[in-house]
Amino acid sequence: MTTPPAFDATVLAAVLTSVLPLLAFGVIMIFTRSRERLSAMISIGAISGSLACALFLLVRHWGLAEPILYTGRWVTSGEWTIPVGVLLDPASLLMLTVVTSISFLVQIYSLGYMAGDPGFSRYYGYMSLFAWAMISLTISPTMLQLYIFWELVGLASYLLIGFWYEKYTASQAGKKAFVMTRLGDVAFLLGLLIALLHLGNLNIMELNAPAVTAKMPPAMLTLSAILIFGGVVGKSAQFPLLTWLPDAMEGPTPVSALLHSATMVAAGVYLFARLFPFFSHSETAMSLFLAIGTISMLLASTMAMVSRDIKQVWAYSTISQLGFMIMGLAAGGYFAGIFHLTTHAGFKALLFLCSGVFIHAYGTNDMFDIGRSGGRGLKVPMICITIAAAALAGLPPFSGFFSKEAIMGALAELDNPFWLTAGLAGAFLTAYYTFRLIFVLLFPKSRAHSAHDTEHEDHHGGYSAMAWPLVILAAVTVVLGFGQHGLERFLTGFHQGPVIHLEGGHHEWLLFVAVGVAAAGVILAWIEFGKPGAAQVGFVERIPPLRDLFAERWYIDHFYRWFLDTVIYRGFSRLFTRNDRVVIDGSLDELSRATVETGRLLSNLHLGMIQYKLMVLFVTMILLGIYFFFLG
Amino acid sequence: MIVPYNHVLILSGVLFLMGMFCATARRNLIMIVVGLEIMLNAASVAFIGAALRWQHMEGQAIVLFIFAVAATEVSVGLALIVSAYRRTGSVDPGMFK
Repeated sequence: MTTPPAFDATVLAAVLTSVLPLLAFGVIMIFTRSRERLSAMISIGAISGSLACALFLLVRHWGLAEPILYTGRWVTSGEWTIPVGVLLDPASLLMLTVVTSISFLVQIYSLGYMAGDPGFSRYYGYMSLFAWAMISLTISPTMLQLYIFWELVGLASYLLIGFWYEKYTASQAGKKAFVMTRLGDVAFLLGLLIALLHLGNLNIMELNAPAVTAKMPPAMLTLSAILIFGGVVGKSAQFPLLTWLPDAMEGPTPVSALLHSATMVAAGVYLFARLFPFFSHSETAMSLFLAIGTISMLLASTMAMVSRDIKQVWAYSTISQLGFMIMGLAAGGYFAGIFHLTTHAGFKALLFLCSGVFIHAYGTNDMFDIGRSGGRGLKVPMICITIAAAALAGLPPFSGFFSKEAIMGALAELDNPFWLTAGLAGAFLTAYYTFRLIFVLLFPKSRAHSAHDTEHEDHHGGYSAMAWPLVILAAVTVVLGFGQHGLERFLTGFHQGPVIHLEGGHHEWLLFVAVGVAAAGVILAWIEFGKPGAAQVGFVERIPPLRDLFAERWYIDHFYRWFLDTVIYRGFSRLFTRNDRVVIDGSLDELSRATVETGRLLSNLHLGMIQYKLMVLFVTMILLGIYFFFLG
Repeated sequence: MIVPYNHVLILSGVLFLMGMFCATARRNLIMIVVGLEIMLNAASVAFIGAALRWQHMEGQAIVLFIFAVAATEVSVGLALIVSAYRRTGSVDPGMFK
């Protein structure tokens, strides 16, 4: 660990990268809300500053040998100090770059997408807030600081999901996202408290140090790890808290792109990667995480197979890909998880931004409608979405192929072949539902409206602002996979704890199996949706009970509704209401009535009746006499 | 001294209680004044007994003062009662609200 002097260029850049968006947020919300273009310029200027700083840091510290830690004191109380600061290690540098570049591209894209919206300035203000929270979360050196920004990320995503708050469903979706992630965060906080009780501080470096096993009993460590993982489950929308993410589609599409790729949900997986050595001390916790990742991945994949809403398909795929990352991390593949997080950020942002162009152009979220109205006429987004979909499906040579391969490699290292099988099944489903969507867009059944195929490109002035980020992201998606070895050396250079190096070629068969499985998914999708004369009805949709099960999200939401209605509302709420009425209200009423009664009684002494006063006098004298005689 | 001092004190205590009862329980101004007189006399009895017991003249002197106070009190008190009776036609203290 090295601590640079206070005004080193590194520290300055790290502080700048996080503070610039905050300044932009403040300026926009206070001064420039009425001036839309200026607000957008401020916000984009700030995020490009952050991006520049992040790139500077990445280039300067490429191949750094040990983490750079810089802390100052924030609060001092007696023996206690709460530090704030900056921790730069390969994971945070990489994440910082991902976050700033995706935020930058999404903000550029939003210039076109959000043009003319009455809340344009507010939108950019929230975007800056979001970027600030996420960047600061990335470089936090202590869990407390991380937790604070973790909550701020939740707040910003709440504001952005419910951005069109006049729409009832949007405000409901925002609320749902907030409440469900909060459930996980409570567990997270409890886990942190357990760790704090044993360690006395929450420095990430100390949590990750091998000495932690000596300071914490194994059971406590497992409990703490599982509780902290609760936060990951909430944030990254894993089972059983996964239903908020599909609803979060109510926000503007660029928000979804940001939320699903680099910020909100990625925060969960990033936390996992951050505390990876800490978590890997506990075998039990790791196998639980593996199971949760697997369940989420399979559940979400099946949900995506029947959805007609283009954004919802990507939302389910996000859950499933996050499940993949967690599987990879839990299987011990530290690099595999982070690598998939990085590549996923690129192609998922691309998928959403492309879908945004379609939605913007045709005013509908339904993939069949978009296909019918001539979606493939929009050349740039169509090509880009196909590239991104290929990456998502894990087809070579796109980035998703490499990272998925790394995760499969990590899963193959496990003794139990079940996990690898589940991973391959997930890859098959992913390829299937991804290309189902692509084929529906490319080969619509009836082309009634194909007359105005190309008109749309000219109608919307912001098209070029929207197209450039797509092209950049598509290029990244194509290229990034080949940087695997460089990144791997960078990330695992000094990493402590058990890390599986995926160097050996003893899983060559796996490569072919994985690609074969993905190709099988694509072929199945082709037969059902792409082939000329195909019915465009998936095999799942032919089995109504299965279709309903998937379309209703395995009835998880229904279960929550039922649980809320019966247990919370009818059980606890009613009990507490009764308690409130009878015990609390009742006792206060009784107390006040008794006071009034006593007053009334005592007021009889003041009727002007001399004899009562005399009597009181005598009684007092006698009591005083008894007191002094017997006790005095 | 033939009568033990204890007995004198008991007598004076009983007298005092009776006076107290009379002063607080009766609904007649005259009886209240009588009750007060009885209490004063109870105190006098205690003083006289004490003077005898310790062969001191102060007790008897104080009793003389008490007589004077009691006489004054009775004359003033009765005058007030008569005046109140003339105004309201009643000697019940509850009626003077």
